[in-house]
Amino acid sequence: MATPSDRTPFKRRSLFKAAGLGAAGAAGLPVLAACSDIESSGGSTQATTGYDFLPTHEEWPLPVEPDLVGEPPHHPSGFTSYPEPVQAITDLPSGSGTYELTVPCWGPAPAKDDPYFTAVYEAWGGTKLELRQGDGMTYGDTAVQWVKADEYGDGIQLFNYMTGSFSNFQETVVNSFYDLTDIVQGDISERWPLLAAIPSEAWGYAVWQKDPDDPETAGIYAIPMNYNGGQGNGILARVDLLEAEGLAMPTTVEEFLEVARAWSDDAAGRWATVGLDWFIGQWFGLGGTDGWNWDPDQKKMINNIERPEFTELMEFRRTLWDEKLIHPDAPTGTLDAAAMQEAGQVMFTQDNLVRWNDYNLKVKRGEIEGRVAPLPPLAAKGRTPTVAMAAGSGGWTFLNKNLSREQVEEILDIANWCASPFGTKEYELLNYGVEGEHFTIGADGTPVFTTLGSEVVQGPVHYKALACQVQTFLTGDPDMVAERFAYDAAIQDYRMENPFEGVRIEPPAEAKAAGSTLWDQQQDIAYGRAELSSIPDMVETYLNNGGEAARQYYTDAYKALHGE
Amino acid sequence: MATLQSTAPPDTDRPADRPIVRRKRTVLQRLRHDWPLLLLALPVVAHLSVFHYWPTAWNIIAFMDYSPYRPFWENPFVGFAWFERLFADPYFAPALANTLKFAALNLLCMFPLSVALALAMNSIISVKVRSTFQSIVYLPHFFSWVLVVTVFVQVLGADGLVSNWIMAGGGERLDFTSNPETFTFLVWMQWAWKDAGWGMIIFLAALSSINPSLYEAAASDGANRWRRMWHITLPGIRPVIILLLILQIGGILSVGFEQYQLQRQAVGFQATEVLDTYVYYQSIVGGQGESFGTAAGLFKGVIGLILILVANKIAHRLGEQGIYQKS
Repeated sequence: MATPSDRTPFKRRSLFKAAGLGAAGAAGLPVLAACSDIESSGGSTQATTGYDFLPTHEEWPLPVEPDLVGEPPHHPSGFTSYPEPVQAITDLPSGSGTYELTVPCWGPAPAKDDPYFTAVYEAWGGTKLELRQGDGMTYGDTAVQWVKADEYGDGIQLFNYMTGSFSNFQETVVNSFYDLTDIVQGDISERWPLLAAIPSEAWGYAVWQKDPDDPETAGIYAIPMNYNGGQGNGILARVDLLEAEGLAMPTTVEEFLEVARAWSDDAAGRWATVGLDWFIGQWFGLGGTDGWNWDPDQKKMINNIERPEFTELMEFRRTLWDEKLIHPDAPTGTLDAAAMQEAGQVMFTQDNLVRWNDYNLKVKRGEIEGRVAPLPPLAAKGRTPTVAMAAGSGGWTFLNKNLSREQVEEILDIANWCASPFGTKEYELLNYGVEGEHFTIGADGTPVFTTLGSEVVQGPVHYKALACQVQTFLTGDPDMVAERFAYDAAIQDYRMENPFEGVRIEPPAEAKAAGSTLWDQQQDIAYGRAELSSIPDMVETYLNNGGEAARQYYTDAYKALHGE
Repeated sequence: MATLQSTAPPDTDRPADRPIVRRKRTVLQRLRHDWPLLLLALPVVAHLSVFHYWPTAWNIIAFMDYSPYRPFWENPFVGFAWFERLFADPYFAPALANTLKFAALNLLCMFPLSVALALAMNSIISVKVRSTFQSIVYLPHFFSWVLVVTVFVQVLGADGLVSNWIMAGGGERLDFTSNPETFTFLVWMQWAWKDAGWGMIIFLAALSSINPSLYEAAASDGANRWRRMWHITLPGIRPVIILLLILQIGGILSVGFEQYQLQRQAVGFQATEVLDTYVYYQSIVGGQGESFGTAAGLFKGVIGLILILVANKIAHRLGEQGIYQKS
């Protein structure tokens, strides 16, 4: 604790006088704990490996081997055929409890009385796990209040990127959620063979410490949602529109600009993009965690914004705006880029690569026209392209600390069921629903969603993200699986290592707030509301208001990980 | 009809040397006498206690390094550290300046607009025209800010109705809803459409309390419309104008949240950031926590309190009642 300020006692006394809290002060309220520095929300760094209390990894033999064998997690294996599913769990536990799980939902929430839910409850042993859906767009911010007020039911799913809204997520986790360590440590393969088979690295990402300075206080506080690697997001192009205009897929940033200029026509209502921002840093070689990277030449932690490539990135974004290659309402952030790409109004969208599959499936169902494909890794000025890939858990399912051990075990029974991989009956029901109602088997032998299935089951979260699967595969339409597998194979050579892989870093709150403002300033420059010449001022302001503290923080983390 | 009579004997019956003794009623007697009034006040007192005074007491966390996860008394006292951080933040002063700018604009432009609308409305004789006019001007108050902003974007946005008309005629695309330089005017237009009519209603109520015979007398003395408004109407509603003005000054730093938050991405944070959005983005989105947000809120409250006291004092000096008086 920092030394109390010499001015503090006077202020303290004045405060109590004003607030009429003298009695409380006399009782030893904040007076005895006087400390002039703010110590909370100081950030935390958590190792995700090297713990002896993780579940003992026990292989679970896959019912069917994949057709395309890759190198998980960055290059997952895939199935180009749909196997006859087998029952993964033969000794079904019997559950009678009813629980509520808060999950994010993008789009309209499905009807709660749909047969899908009844079928799933019955299949996993009778336990009812009712979903409480929150708007995915604002979920991270509102989840802070739900968790602190203990109004999230018996569990809550949080994606990794949402945790930045918590002023001190480590403190939140160890105080709000159930410590699963005693229940899941060691050999759990007898009761939960599938949970025992999920990668130990995934369990490692579910570890937090009660005392950030004492590794002895670490424990498992969540069920990992997944364990992925590779390239999750990308830029999808309407290949058919390019071909119609005689344009080729761009292979460099310069070619991208040429194609964008050739295709865009502001007066005719067609634009190259609806905005490119968070993804394209890697086109300019900008990566790292929260923009921080170790510079071996300077032997120093450097933020992307301090590098000349950052100015190139901002110049590129500004060019897109100035030359009207972006939809004029893009700054509102409210445009439906996917719908506009389907309508042929925009050529490129920045999205999760899952939409590559979704788009082409819609085409196969005759709902829309065209074809999309992701751009290959791009780079500017003749540099070698880079692709940011980080293996880890994208999120977690946390359980309420007020649950009893028996209740937690009942939910873990469900999690074990949900961890069933592709090729099992459990996976089929969870991911496709009831055959005949939510999906049918198509001509190529793979499941095809019905309209009801698209509305109820196809959403990205639900129970599908309750627990990490034993292994994650590329599945679905055989053509798409083959294309995605080939794409993943092609980008492996461009993989950019993350210097912080293996640790989970929560930066100090002040740095998070400064980073939030920094992003707003970048948007100002990109959309013509501020000049490119303001970049040095922007950098200086960031560094002086939390950035330098963040540099020190990341430097310490890096040195702890890689040595001096 | 019953009349109230004093039960005390007339002064003439009292011996001259007998001192006057005012019998003070006991608490029990007063309770017995006033219980219906106390009962009526109870819900309001309960509401104020639970939703105002109790949360107000929690302002103390602005002086603590507060965490909801430890016992309250274990939160260390940090003096004015959060305020120091607040004032040292280079984005706090611009947010405060924007807030004051929008507040002043609201006070100077919207207040007279509501009064003018009320006067115009009061001069309409046809009941049908009057009710139609009233509905048109005050119904937008019930629209949410999401709807108001959407309507403006659809009409005046870069890809909106007017812009497309202009482009069809060979002109340049209109850049109005995403231009930081015109944002102040945009905000004023949105206020005028949404709230001017609502503000008008209170002044209309005040106007209805003016005795019509005053107008008749003035008209028969030869006062024209302007004179009648200047010498009868405006003095008649002056106490209400002063009252609302003081209340508005008290809340001067609360210029709203949704209107600015919804247009933040489109116009940029530098033009739209006001204190309320600043607190949201710093303490909720930015993760600076409860103490930081409370410090900013407390600062806002203290400034508002000072302004309301000053405005009330000025009202008294000008011979108006204001919102309260000591005696």
